[in-house]
This record gives sequence, C-alpha cells and structure tokens, in this order.
Amino acid sequence: MIAACVKWVAGVPEPGDERFAGISAADQAAVELALRHGASMGDDVVVVTAGPPAAERALREALAAGATRAVRVDLPADATSSDVATALAGVVGDAAFVWCGDYSTDRGSGSVPAFLAAERSARQALGAVAVDLADGATISVTRRLDGGRREVSTVSAPAVVSVEGAVARLRRAGLAGVLAARTAPIEVRRPAVVVPDVAAIVHAYRPRARTLPPPHGSTLDRLRELTDAAAAPAHGETVHLDPADAADRILTALRAWSYLT
Amino acid sequence: MDDEPDVDVIVVGGGPAGACAALVAARAGLSTVLLERGPFPGSKNMYGGVVYPRILDRLIPNWWETAPIQRWVTRRSTMVLTDTQALTVDYRTEAWGKPPYNGATAYRPDFDHWLAGHAEAAGAQLVCDTTAVGLLRGASGRIVGVRTDRPGGDLRARVVIACDGVNSFLAKEAGLFEHTDAKHYTLGVKETLALPKEVIDERFGVRGREGVDIEMIGCTSGVNGGGFLYTNLDSVAVGVVLKLPKLAAQQLRPEEIIARMKRHPAIAPLIEGADLKEYSAHLIPEAGLAMMPKMTTDGMLVAGDAAALCLAAGIWLEGVNFAMASGMYAGEAVVEAVRNGDVGVEGLAGYQRRLSETFVLKDHRRLRRAPEIVLSDRVQHLYPAMVAGIAERMFQVDNPAPKPRLRTILKQERKRVGIRRRDLARDGLDGLRTFG
Repeated sequence: MIAACVKWVAGVPEPGDERFAGISAADQAAVELALRHGASMGDDVVVVTAGPPAAERALREALAAGATRAVRVDLPADATSSDVATALAGVVGDAAFVWCGDYSTDRGSGSVPAFLAAERSARQALGAVAVDLADGATISVTRRLDGGRREVSTVSAPAVVSVEGAVARLRRAGLAGVLAARTAPIEVRRPAVVVPDVAAIVHAYRPRARTLPPPHGSTLDRLRELTDAAAAPAHGETVHLDPADAADRILTALRAWSYLT
Repeated sequence: MDDEPDVDVIVVGGGPAGACAALVAARAGLSTVLLERGPFPGSKNMYGGVVYPRILDRLIPNWWETAPIQRWVTRRSTMVLTDTQALTVDYRTEAWGKPPYNGATAYRPDFDHWLAGHAEAAGAQLVCDTTAVGLLRGASGRIVGVRTDRPGGDLRARVVIACDGVNSFLAKEAGLFEHTDAKHYTLGVKETLALPKEVIDERFGVRGREGVDIEMIGCTSGVNGGGFLYTNLDSVAVGVVLKLPKLAAQQLRPEEIIARMKRHPAIAPLIEGADLKEYSAHLIPEAGLAMMPKMTTDGMLVAGDAAALCLAAGIWLEGVNFAMASGMYAGEAVVEAVRNGDVGVEGLAGYQRRLSETFVLKDHRRLRRAPEIVLSDRVQHLYPAMVAGIAERMFQVDNPAPKPRLRTILKQERKRVGIRRRDLARDGLDGLRTFG
C-alpha cells in the first residue's frame, strides 16, 4: 500500500470560508507522487487526512484523481503535530511508502512527516526537491544542502517522504472521476489516541499575585521618600566668611562638585 | 455513436441563470450536473450593479434572510453631467430597506456561490474548474451533451442548458445566433474602491444596510455609454459602460475614461481618499431584442447573458433578474420536456412560451428601442448639455435682469447646444412611445 497524507486548511485568508479552503501545493504534489508510485507498483493508494468533516473535500479531489480509497481521521483542526502523526500512523501503519507535503497552507512547519516517521520507526526523507521513483521498491530522493549542493539518498520501504510543491503537479481529474468521487465512501476513524486538550497544557506564563501592605503616611511623604527630596542635601554646608573668601569658597565647592571645571 | 445520456440535464455556467436552472431541474428530481469553469460559482464574474431578486420569491422563500447582499438600495439617483455641471434626480424610500425589499448591491462571488449552494442542496452536482469547450451531437444532429476540458471529459445528457454568459460559445456553436455584431455589445469597466463604512454612510447619507445606486449620463468622454456608482458595505463600485465601436473609434483607454469621471467635481468628493482594490472589465449584451438568439434548438436551451437577456434601457439596467428568471423558466421547460419524452425544439417550446408570457420578453419587447435611444448621439452628447444648461439658467439669479421665461431658456439652450426643434420633437415622441 502507498499512502499520501494531506492537511486541509479551512480558509486562508478567510477562516471558515470553503471557497478559500484546500490543501497546499506540496500536499498536491505528494498525492500525485503517491498516485504515480501506486501505478508503478500496481499497488493501492490510500489518501489520509486528519481534520473535521469539511476536510473530506480534499479527499474527494484525490479520489477523483485516482486514489483507491480515502480515510479521514476525525481530529479538530488545531490538534498538535505529534497527535496528528499518531493518528495518521494508525491508518498508514502498513504502507510501504507514505508521501506528505513538506508544508501546509497555514503553519507550514513540515513537522508531521517527521513525527510520523518516528511513530512508525520508518526511514524519513524530508523536504525533497526531486524524486526518482526508479523501480518503485527503492526510490531516490534529492534534498537541499547548504551552498546550493544537493544530497541524493536512496530510500527503501518503510519510509516517509515529504516533498516540496514544485516536485510534481497533481494531475487533472477526469470528468467521470470527479462525478464518481462526489458520492464515493470515505472511511472515518476516531483517533485511538486520546487527544490532550492543548489549551489545558499550553498557557501563557502568569506569575502569581503577591500581597503588598497598604501604603503608609501621606502621599507627599511617600513621594519624598521615593525621590530623596526630603533628605538633607549631601552638599549642604553653612559657613561665615568675608565676601572675598566666600567667593573663593563657593568656586572651590562648585569645582569639587563638578559644576565648574 | 452511443447516445445514452449520463444525466438528464447539463447546465453550463454556475452564474445566476445556471444556478436557477439547475435548482429547478434538481428539485423536480432530474439528475443534474452544473458545470462551472471557475474554482467556485461567482469566482469568474465581474459585476458592479444592483441585483433585483424579486423572482427568487418563487424559488427561495424569504431569500433576503440568507442572501449575501452588501446594501439594500434605498436611494436611486440619476445624474446628468457635463464637464462642469451636474443635475441629479434623487429618490429615496424607506420601503426598499425592509422586507420584502427591492434591489441590493452584492459581491457576485458571494451571491452566486450562495445561489449555486441552493442548487447543490436540491441535488444538483456542481462540478467546478471545468470548462465546456464544445457540444456533442447525436446521429440526427441533435445536441446530446458537452465536451469539457477534463480528461475523458465528454458528458451526455438529455438536455443542455447553456448559461455560459455573454459571448456564449455554446449558443454560437449551436447556431442559435444568426449573426453577432460588435455594435450590440458594450464594455463594462469597473473599479472597486475601498472606503470605511462610516465614510460611505456619511457621504451618501445612508445608515446600516441602506445603499445608493447612482446612474450617470454624459460622463464618458464622448464615447456613447454611461457611468455608475454603487455603494457596497465598505467599498464603492465606480465604472462606465461603453459602446464598443465608439470606444474603438475614439482611441481612448477605458481606464482613462473612468479616471476622468472620477475627477468630475460631482463625483470626486464622494470617493476622495479611497483605495483602489480591483479593476475589471466585461462585455455586456446591451442591444436587447435586436441581438437575441433563438432560445432553443434540439436538445439545448440558452438562458441569461448567453441569450442576451440583459435589459439596458437607460433608467432600467437589469441583468441578474433576467438571468435568474430565464434560468428558472429554462429549468421548468426542461422538466416538462423530459417528462413528456420530447427534448426537441417542440418539446422545449415551453421555454419560449414562458419567456414571452412574463417580464423577460415583455419588458424587452416594450423597450426594444430603448437601448438605441439611450445610446444615440443626441441623448449622449447634446441633451446632457441642454438639460444642465436649462437648470443653470433657471436657478441662476441675474439681478437686476428679471427672471427669463422657461420657454425662452429652453429655446436658447436648445439653440446653444445645436439641437434642431424637429429632432427634439421626434426624440421626445420616441421616448414617450418607448418609455411612456
């Protein structure tokens, strides 16, 4: 079995508007590669998404393009990447190859394929910029390296491969396929894992409130205390001198206090 | 050739005509496919106008509770402009701002999407991103389906309803248009300008969901046509409609004509500081009865703009309601024909009959000369100057000279502009015959 996992995003930039909902170009490329891979191996292609019922539209598009069957894991749209991967692994457990897009149209961190590979203890080849399906059993995947270099890896089953959008273009579905996909059955699974309530775990840091004593004294006193206005001037000094000496004394003091140089 | 149909009805085009046709057919239990070339119904539409959805009373009870409209038009203005003058006839009524309402401004990607949603809910199969590129014909020459641009894209049906908009390739391919002529079309050009809702409310003197529809004449830089300004919730649609041969002859760019209109002293303060969000252009079939195709052929009907069902009669500028009505009647006729087992021209005759018995063709017949009158050179270039001149002389106080008599002003202004009395009388009579 060959699998493709896609993420359906409900409306960018208008959340909840189905006209702007869909899957990313990378996910579309993943579906196309899964279809090619399935055809070359003579194997079934299952397309999986984790999301709300509206996400079934993406699955129907994949069915129209030629996927054998489609499964939706019923998860809320804001489930974490690791929960999504766990849920997907439950469906694609025995797939030889799992194809994913390396970004979705919303967050686009591309983390689900990595989690999925870890979950299945499968090989992973993430962020592919080119793919050669070769004989199908062992595929060759090109990835980016620094300085414009490329790394070519040979990957055999079981593996999770995530691809960029430019790797392949999803084929145009035939009319008969489009019409048939409208009513094709879509298997819905409830996730085996208990999805933790993200909101309960992740919350903003809020220090506990401290109890302070009520202010004392008059407002003026507290102000003086804060500003040193009430304290005796550090440089204050009373002297009795002749006018000439007094002038010298003042100049000396001003120099000492750095008011004069 | 295998003529066995895949479905009962194919409706081509998910606009107002197509959605209503598919809605009626699907409700009657016919298997219906609604083809839309855009990613969703309404995505390809260009529009800046007022929708009069009264006809929807028959299809969607209390449509106004769910229809995605922008503002209910409670103010209608007609402006006669010269370069420096403006005479406005302004009407407003509270009645149009509450159920059952009258006209509304709307964004067509919202409105068409909503209307097609009703067709889908009734059971029509909406297939988007799919263009009908040609017709399939059976052995007898009868139309038996369409070819789409998808792989394996032939789809067969008992009847095809072509609602593929102005310049309908399907209607042309079916031979329903005897001839098409550029002079029958106008080019609608529109800018969508964003303004905060409060600013629109203040400048146009409206509140809440109340909106304004302004039609203009004399603002199109000498190209025969007209201008319009419609208020949406937080944008205004400003544009012009231009007669094609004149536009070509004048060598003027349509965006330049809009720019000049926007600089007019009566328009500029209304749109000052607005952000340009969108510029678009689209053909409009404006010639009415003079350009209408045959509505039916064996196995196919044509509705909406594709059938040139657009009323451009100066004070009445309507299209979406004609599209919805013709789509609805096409749907009804097809249901009748499929049930009777005759989808030839005779079996589909119920369509033409329905159009003839209702406003769709009655309005067009009565106003058949209106498009020609409204776009004629005198109405376009001379009368605005005369009317504005009369208004200016009437309201100007020239003391110590006494007020001139109205009759004198009329005569002098007519002569100043250069209209012969005979032409004025004839145009007046024509106008009265058509509009009276």
